[in-house]
Amino acid sequence: MIQALTVNTLSRRHGAVGAVDGISFAIAAGEVFGLLGPNGAGKTTTIECLLGLVRPDAGSIAICGVDARAQPRAARARTGAVLQVTGLPDKITPREALDVFGAFYPSPLNTNVLLERFGLREKQDAAYESLSGGQKQRLALALAFVGDPQLLVLDEPTAGLDPQMRRELHDHIRAMKAAGRAVLLATHDMDEAQALCDRIAVIAAGRIVATGTPAELIAGSGASLEDVILTLTGGAR
Amino acid sequence: MTALLHLTLLGLKLNFRNRMAMLYGYLFPLIFLVAFWAVYRNDPVPLVLHLGQFLTVTILGSACFGLPTTIVSERERGVWRRYRLLPAPGWTFLASVLLARAVLLATAALLQLALAFALGMPWPTQPADLLIAFAVASFAFLGFGLVIAMLVDNVPAVQALGQCIFLPMLMIGGVAVRLESLPAWAQHLSLFFPGRYAVEALQLSATGAGLSGAGFDLAALLLTGVAGAVAAAAMFRWDKAFAPRRAWLLLAIGMWVAVGVAAEMRGRATVSAVQDTREVGTSRDYVAAPPKQQAAPALPAAWREVTQADMDRIAFDRLPPDEGIISPLSRGDEVPDPAIVPSLDRIRDALPGWAPGNVSDPVQRARNLLSIAAVPDILQMEQVERFVPRLVFARLQAVTPPRDLPKILYWIAMHPDEGEDRAMHQLGVFGLPDITGPTKPVRGRVMLYAFKLLGRLAGPLPNN
Repeated sequence: MIQALTVNTLSRRHGAVGAVDGISFAIAAGEVFGLLGPNGAGKTTTIECLLGLVRPDAGSIAICGVDARAQPRAARARTGAVLQVTGLPDKITPREALDVFGAFYPSPLNTNVLLERFGLREKQDAAYESLSGGQKQRLALALAFVGDPQLLVLDEPTAGLDPQMRRELHDHIRAMKAAGRAVLLATHDMDEAQALCDRIAVIAAGRIVATGTPAELIAGSGASLEDVILTLTGGAR
Repeated sequence: MTALLHLTLLGLKLNFRNRMAMLYGYLFPLIFLVAFWAVYRNDPVPLVLHLGQFLTVTILGSACFGLPTTIVSERERGVWRRYRLLPAPGWTFLASVLLARAVLLATAALLQLALAFALGMPWPTQPADLLIAFAVASFAFLGFGLVIAMLVDNVPAVQALGQCIFLPMLMIGGVAVRLESLPAWAQHLSLFFPGRYAVEALQLSATGAGLSGAGFDLAALLLTGVAGAVAAAAMFRWDKAFAPRRAWLLLAIGMWVAVGVAAEMRGRATVSAVQDTREVGTSRDYVAAPPKQQAAPALPAAWREVTQADMDRIAFDRLPPDEGIISPLSRGDEVPDPAIVPSLDRIRDALPGWAPGNVSDPVQRARNLLSIAAVPDILQMEQVERFVPRLVFARLQAVTPPRDLPKILYWIAMHPDEGEDRAMHQLGVFGLPDITGPTKPVRGRVMLYAFKLLGRLAGPLPNN
């Protein structure tokens, strides 16, 4: 069976420092995969490599069987992403952003449906600069969904969101999973990871130090997931 | 392609929502136009002589500021980083920005031209060539605008670098200040600024013979545009976190230098005063047609045989207006600006001793004297050109018997291509520059001034 995402011995150096050092993992369709680790562990660099924002020094990436390094556009057509910071022109409206971004995909989702689903109907014609932080994040999510992606990549998507928005996002992730789509979620939030992720990779100093279901990671330790991860990443209390 | 169209339209919409972009993109070129017009407002037509300049200013403004500001500000805020997640090649995004900018630039230029026409500017002599020259000049400078966009990290840096290119181009590059007004060293230096080639190509299309004489200018613009585009493509970056490959800047700058060296080797540095060499027709154009079924009467065989009947057949109403750009003439009671009085005094004082104005042949003498009026007209010497003919008329009347002068003027007007024309190169004593190129345009203006004086001496023109 073709995996939604397969990463094999991915490496990327920043000068003399190995930001990502031989990382390998795979995500199946319908799976939510968490990438956990402290700041600077290599989560964002890994995601940037997957999305083609950064060129890896070595390794392979396949998205739905498509070699993302050889065919980046075909890979991007199957991927939706929310970065830590989403930049959009100040004067663009949510409707325009969804229409224009949708024009790049072969089968975009309907703009009205997305506006409704992400609670942006009332703000559909408002300038991006006038949206609240939560509304901007909703738009970022809607844009990630606009291409009806097979793989959704989320880099700390709930940072700075209020509890209601956070819950909404979790519902969207669950809906993706239910629709058979794969989700890669990079987060600091242990509760979120435990609640949403089928499997988790713990990353530290550019390497994956543990992989498993949340239950597997905490099995036998008697500790919480947070304590386990802190121990694995060298930050134990 | 649909995505490119969507993105281009979006770029246009966003620009129209940005008040500062609108002000800078549309108001700024109009202000420049009005500035040119205000400087020369006493004559309704000379605006066309600056068309190459004000269109180049518009292109430069768009390329040095508008284009890179758009790209850099979006890249600064992570917009381009987000674009990169879309399944499209990078050129799609650059092409959309360039297309939108081209549309904005073209509409700004059209608006500028519309205002110029409203202010009395005549239609360009070669409209199709003007379009081509504008497209090539836009390509050249937008290519370099992309280089600026790739080079700098933030909008203030765009402004700083843009000014470093824009201002020298305006001041010593032949764009805002005419080359002929610049010292020799600046004329040489201007060869290394492509703005000069844009002005020349556009101006030749507006008032000259078109692009047939602008091969070097077009080649220079195309080469600088290609070099800029290639360098920008090599320096392209989605994210300011990545440093541009600055070595490619050498290609863009190197092409400016290479073009300048080539121009220097071809001896293009020194520029004579601008010459308005528009065709003014032949003497027959100013002779009334005979009544139907009557043959045109034979022309007199010599100037002494000219009769009043011959003069009466002149259609003086077809002559260019005295207030116009061709063969302008001040009113008799018009007081010149004090700033040009010394120049006029110098001409008046030098006239009696000027050898070509004292030759024995009265016709050649009159031709020589009329060339003193014709040359400043060809050279578009602003205020001076309107008053010099009055001085010449006075001198002609002083050195020619009254009964001969109308006949001589008729003869010269009807035979503009006869006689010597060396005198037009001996005007240094009057403080007038030498002219270059064919002498036929000067002979055409000699003809017009001969007609105009004749009309005042023996015709219906008011001698006020």
